[in-house]
Parts: sequence; C-alpha cells; structure tokens
Amino acid sequence: MTTNAQAPAKLYYEDVQVGDELPRLVKGPVTHLQLVRYAGASGDFNPLHTDPKIGEALGIGGIIAHGMLIMGFVGQLLSDYVGPTALRKFNARFKGMTRIGDEISCTGTITEKYEADGEARIAGKLQAADQNGDVKVTGTFVAALPHRA
Amino acid sequence: MFDKSKIGQSFPPFTIEVERGKIRELALAIGDDNPIYQGREEAQAAGYPDVPLYPTSATTFTFWGNRKMISQVVSLGVNLAGVLHGEEEYEYLAPIYPGDKLTGVMTLVDGKTRQGQSGSSMDILTIEIRYTNQHGTPVLNARQVVIARS
Repeated sequence: MTTNAQAPAKLYYEDVQVGDELPRLVKGPVTHLQLVRYAGASGDFNPLHTDPKIGEALGIGGIIAHGMLIMGFVGQLLSDYVGPTALRKFNARFKGMTRIGDEISCTGTITEKYEADGEARIAGKLQAADQNGDVKVTGTFVAALPHRA
Repeated sequence: MFDKSKIGQSFPPFTIEVERGKIRELALAIGDDNPIYQGREEAQAAGYPDVPLYPTSATTFTFWGNRKMISQVVSLGVNLAGVLHGEEEYEYLAPIYPGDKLTGVMTLVDGKTRQGQSGSSMDILTIEIRYTNQHGTPVLNARQVVIARS
C-alpha cells in the first residue's frame, strides 16, 4: 500500500471517533439536463437515463438517474470529508431508482478506527436517500488519515 | 442465461490515459465545484501535486477506455436489455494522476443464476477490472455486480 505523502490532510486520525457522523450533503433536485451531462462525462450512454420514451416503453415510467451519479454524490460527501486521495475503499449498493426532481441526502457514520498496512484508517457506513426517506444507495468506505504530530 | 464456463475468464487488456479534463467534467456533472478538480493550479494551491481522481473516476476509465466492454459482456451470455447495476466497489491501491497510462483487465470473477417468481430467472455477475499504471504498479481495482434477466 502506497501512502500518498503529498496529499494535504483534511482531517487527522485523532479527530475522528467511532460514532461520529459525516457532515450531511444534500444534492439536487436531479434534473434531466444533469443526467444528459452525466452521461457525457461518464461515457454511460444507456438511453434509459436520457430518453423518456425508453423508460416508458420499459414500464418504469420515464427516465431514471444513473446509479453511478448517486454514488458520485456520496463520493462528494467523502471528498469533502477526507479528501479524494485519502480513500482506500469505497463501496455502493444500489437499492432504489432515482427520478427527476429527487433531492438526495448523503450521510455517513464512522464505524471503526484501526491500523493496517502501516496506516491509520477509519471505516464508515454510507447512505443516500431521497426527500421521502427512500434509500437509493447504501455503502461503506475506508480512508487513511495522518496522525496529528 | 449466462455461460457458467466463463467464470474466471479475463478479456484482452485495454488502455486509458488519465486526463485532467475528464476529471473536471465528471466532478461538474456530479455538481461538485470543489476547485481541486478544476485544474492543476487550483489542485496545487490546495496541496495536491495535480488534479486528483474523483472518487468515482474509474467509471470513466471503463466506459471510455474499454470500447469493447459491451460486446465482451454480451459474449458472457448476458442479456443486456434491462440490465441493472447492483453494486460498485473501488479499492484505491496507489496514487493516480493525470498523464498516467493505465492498463485494465476485466475478469468475470463470479456468477450465479437465481430463479425468480413466475418462472423467470436472473443472472447475477461479479465483474472485476484491475488497473496497473505505466510502471506496472497495481493502482486500482474496480468490482461491479450486474443483474440481468436470463
């Protein structure tokens, strides 16, 4: 495991306790334009996410967001909290479909602190849910943090 | 139904160069205007050597880098109509920055067929892509679970 010594510290190991909550991030509302833009940026051009006729033909009632867009929202939660280069593992399970107009609330809780591969690490669980509390994504992450000198 | 004999099969490697502009484009599409993803100067001002990867940037390596992905998945016997994404996981093994040239190898690591109600069945496949950089160093593993109608 390579430690990225060049990355700036956003957070120190000593500052995090099991049970701490990550600062909540609210994203959206998701727009059709955002899905078109996300399709172009990611390269996932499945028309299910951009063409309302396809969603209607499949009987799911219009277009649904890319699951990876919602994982991206949760990625922003982590990026804001520990910084992208601190991440060692990031997992997302897709639990529900997100539609145009949904507002997505991303939350997380620290579940573990430990040393591994010569690094001080924190682990946590993650969730993204809409304005009605319907869960879209659950996940976990591991990040390496520096010790406070 | 997918072909169980394909479990363990790897596909020919594909290559992708990490680009600053693709990282910025992904961050902005997600609605993240953090300046570290916008350009090298902004990233350096925040203490990074260059623009860091977005946490989900590996999805762009797959979609833009592996142009044969769809035909490869079809060759496993997967019905792409109505395929669902069940899970995505990244292991970040070493730093990746713009200019790095990555090689990805996709492998079908697991698969099963599950009988549903009304006689239908679903294929649940775990696909892993292991990326190494231009020095041969393993840098990132991406794992995804896809669910397809048999």
